[in-house]
Amino acid sequence: MTEAVLFWILAVLAVIGGIGVIASRRAMYSAMSLVWTLFCLASLYVLLRAHLLAALQVLVYAGAIMMLFVFVVMLLSMTDEEKGKARASGYGIAGSLAAGTILVGVAFAVAGQPSPEGPLAVGTVRAVALELYTEHVLAFQVTAVLLLAAIIGATVVAIRRI
Amino acid sequence: MAAVNPPASEIGGLQEETLQSRRAVGGEGSGRRSRLSPLRLARAVVLVGVVFGAAAGLILTIVFGLAHLLGIGGTEWVGLLNIVGVAFILVMMTATLLIVAERKWSARMQNRVGPSRARLFRNEKWAFYGIPHLAADGLKMIFKEDFVPPGAARLVFSLAPVLAFVPAFALIAVVPVGPDIMAFGTEVRFQVARIDMGILFIFAVASVAVFGATLAGWSANNNFGMLGALRAAAQMISYEVALALTLVGVIIVFQTIRLEEIAAFQDGTMWGGLIPAWGIFFQPFALILFLAAAFAEVKRAPFDLPEAESEIIGYFVEYSGMKFGLFMFAEFIEIVALSALIVVLFFGGWSIPWVSHEALQSWLAIDVGLGTDWAALAAAFVGLFAFIAKMMFFVWLQMVIRWSFPRFRYDQIMNLGWKALLPLSLVNLVVTAAAVVLDPTLSLALAIGLGQAFLLIVVIISADSPKRGMMAAAQHDHPQEVSCST
Repeated sequence: MTEAVLFWILAVLAVIGGIGVIASRRAMYSAMSLVWTLFCLASLYVLLRAHLLAALQVLVYAGAIMMLFVFVVMLLSMTDEEKGKARASGYGIAGSLAAGTILVGVAFAVAGQPSPEGPLAVGTVRAVALELYTEHVLAFQVTAVLLLAAIIGATVVAIRRI
Repeated sequence: MAAVNPPASEIGGLQEETLQSRRAVGGEGSGRRSRLSPLRLARAVVLVGVVFGAAAGLILTIVFGLAHLLGIGGTEWVGLLNIVGVAFILVMMTATLLIVAERKWSARMQNRVGPSRARLFRNEKWAFYGIPHLAADGLKMIFKEDFVPPGAARLVFSLAPVLAFVPAFALIAVVPVGPDIMAFGTEVRFQVARIDMGILFIFAVASVAVFGATLAGWSANNNFGMLGALRAAAQMISYEVALALTLVGVIIVFQTIRLEEIAAFQDGTMWGGLIPAWGIFFQPFALILFLAAAFAEVKRAPFDLPEAESEIIGYFVEYSGMKFGLFMFAEFIEIVALSALIVVLFFGGWSIPWVSHEALQSWLAIDVGLGTDWAALAAAFVGLFAFIAKMMFFVWLQMVIRWSFPRFRYDQIMNLGWKALLPLSLVNLVVTAAAVVLDPTLSLALAIGLGQAFLLIVVIISADSPKRGMMAAAQHDHPQEVSCST
């Protein structure tokens, strides 16, 4: 019961944040709306007992990635003329159609699934860590190498300008 | 903080008062402050002990007493009592008193008297170490004009102080300030939330704290504020990496990320009772790195580039009244929370060295004859007292560091973060991981830790010449550069 109430509150708040992302005229407000949505999603992860995912959502997405977005938006310092205008371009229509298709597809896929019963222990820090470092350790290491390559690549691209 | 520096006229008045008070004591003369008589020392120790004891007793009364009265021991409602007992009483009150304490301590370090004009009922004798200034400060903050500069992004401008304040305050939620006790059939813990994420929660909350400072500077439509915001964002993102990596070594040693388990582990001893199993003995090097990174996260001198009141005033340049007060208060709360965190991770939390909680409890119950229930309460009191005493020591240490060191230059900050702290914490991580894998009983890790501590002490003692210091070396590298902005 409590879970259902919390879910609906958080779900509505998350959707409001999502609408804020696309409806805001200033880039900073869009970014802040996205942070808001990410927080709501993290709370939903906690409801699903995915504690590690919730912490990482806030730590990585809200704290690090969105902070970089905000950093860039701050440096752009857009004036009023440069604000986006509400207009229906071809890209906008195509994007909306794509998003709608994905939404319908996900809704159909999820609707057929039975909802899990009782407390799950698959999302706790210990459970995820055990899976990650035993069963999927190769994928974990390969991802680490991939990220390292990305960092080195970014440095190589940027170093000529420093 | 910018508010700490009193206007020139006030300084003049204080100096006058110093002279008057020195004249008043007559025979003792100007050497009055420098001489430390055993009587004064004993009085100070007793006073501090009584204050800490009162705080510990208050927390114990609120959390245990209310839980016992309401019959909610052992349930999640204890967390709510802890919000009152730990978050409001311990953290809020300490942070509030720090507003005066910072001025007083900085004044002592600069041979001034500090705030002394606010007195209760205008009575000359009731200055109470300047504490009545809190009321003057609070009234000033509340009644000042709440000014929003033209061209500011109003919503974000009002939201930013809250975004700075909330993460600072939320940090304390997972810190255990006392041992779990069971007395009179009521089971309580002294921790607001006992969650799976532990240290990850701290990292997550600390990473969100950047938004407050950044948005404050951006929204105010002020170029100085903007500079402060950019500096804050760059500095806090940079040091977050090192902050997290230094603590991974601690996580490896204690084999858990739950802070209550880390605190309980440090209650024991290593090598047959020779050395307390405190984090400092396993990871002294990580402690130094963590202190540096954490000071940068709190944005206080020598890392106060985002603020830098002598050049750009900082990200809160346009704020007035209580909105500025929230920024100031958030900083003090961060100091308290950081001290609590250092105590839990490196200095044994609520434990006292060589005496485990169980041993203390059974000694109080049997040898002193308190009975099991009262012994549990007394042991909890001792634990709370030890935690508060350790925490206050680190609060004091942060104050001393803040008023001792000059501000780093911007390039020095970035070099220290990325080229010194990050690689060193990686080295620490590798060494710790190897030591724990080779010897799961942690003896090797402890030996390496003690070796590090010895080396650090040798380095600190031998570094008598300032030329060998890091700042002097950095200045040597860039002798011509002036202080550069972002």
